[in-house]
Amino acid sequence: MKADKDKCIACKRCFPYCPMGRIQIYQRHDQIPGRVYIEIDQDACTDCGMCLRAKICPVNAIYQPEEPWPREVRGVLSNPMIEFMGSQTPGRGTEEMKTNDVKGTFLPGEVGVGIELGRPGVGAYFRDVETVAMALMKADLGYQLAAENPVTHFMSDKTTGKLREDVLGEKATSAIIEGKCKLERLPEVVKVLQDVAKTLDTVFTVEVITKVPPVGEVPIDPVLKKMGMWYSINSKNNMGLGEPSYKFYDEQ
Amino acid sequence: MTHSLHRRGTRESLSNDFIVLGCPATGVNKKGSAPKTRKFLSICYKHGPINLGDMKTGNIYNTTMDDILSRVTDGTIVECTFDNREKIVSLLKELKEDRPGISIVISGVTDVVQQCMTEAGLGRIHSLEYSLGTWGKTERLPDFEILQTVTMCGHAMIASDLVRKMVRDVKRGRRTIEDCCIEMAECCSCGNYNVTRGIQLFKELLPIYTVHSLY
Repeated sequence: MKADKDKCIACKRCFPYCPMGRIQIYQRHDQIPGRVYIEIDQDACTDCGMCLRAKICPVNAIYQPEEPWPREVRGVLSNPMIEFMGSQTPGRGTEEMKTNDVKGTFLPGEVGVGIELGRPGVGAYFRDVETVAMALMKADLGYQLAAENPVTHFMSDKTTGKLREDVLGEKATSAIIEGKCKLERLPEVVKVLQDVAKTLDTVFTVEVITKVPPVGEVPIDPVLKKMGMWYSINSKNNMGLGEPSYKFYDEQ
Repeated sequence: MTHSLHRRGTRESLSNDFIVLGCPATGVNKKGSAPKTRKFLSICYKHGPINLGDMKTGNIYNTTMDDILSRVTDGTIVECTFDNREKIVSLLKELKEDRPGISIVISGVTDVVQQCMTEAGLGRIHSLEYSLGTWGKTERLPDFEILQTVTMCGHAMIASDLVRKMVRDVKRGRRTIEDCCIEMAECCSCGNYNVTRGIQLFKELLPIYTVHSLY
């Protein structure tokens, strides 16, 4: 996002709308005496468009220029109004467990593991995303990256988790690494994430997905409890109402 | 992946906070899904959501229900937020009898969602996703009281500074709490922001927060 210096009156009304915090600096106009305008720190801005959508600017100074590659990835991952065409899904990730009832993305014995860097309100550079992705892949735990995920698309080597060099300096409001592994490898995957968390200058959320069997306990619960992991009381729950339903078990 | 998953709050606060999502599946039922998605939205609307929207169009606080319905295309993911478990039970009863055909996901407290499903005559949860929390430089996060509000927007479009500014505005008598919460709902274009819960959280925030100057 940018503020047109010929229009901006430095009223500060846009400041609190920025999810990245205070990223604006005052500048003195070089041609209009006494005129002060704000400049948006282009490195800190993720082009999420929130300040523009808020329609808060009294002089319409805020605008989103058409950004060239690689900067355009900021808007693709940060602005909820923009769809990443590679995933064919609105948003920053994939359909993941939302459509597990019809696609069978996560089978019994498998666990989906997602790592979303930067949210809420901190942001993440792709170099941070690469650090986590490479740590996961280096551990060789059978973690399979979700092919249609935007971050996977930006990888130059999907076996190592290495991202394209030209996107490493770009920043997003959040970026998600998505994939799955066997349930028995989950403790090792979590350990890798715990270790890599100490090396980052941002935050990340971790989520795990499992198919719930018709009877018996949720397979992931005893694993998490044995590891002493905190997990949320609230969850995302697929109702199993999609059609046609995926056949998970022989008796179905 | 995590749109409505990482909401923070107490059990009491989260127990009347449900996000119902309708999602067609690429490669399975996405083609020709627009009428099914509209049907799903219309059913949800009958049961009185507090918010409803589609991330690419907006929600009922910044556009109209007719606009949201008319802009549904094959592949559109829609979300409806409810502030009451009885509404979820009645909604599930209708969805059980009159399935739209697309996948339906409910975010909420796991055992409460399962109870609602059981009361509606549905079986067990099909698949679930847990949050294992926020890791890394967590000292960069806002306070928990503000985090409860900002995590209601899955895309993190509600800025913590905006919440602080609104606290100041309300304390100075410039705006009402309701007005502030409606504006936060407008920021969260998908319709995930629960206005009822937002108002409650804001009331709890006011006595413990004083903001003299932000900038």
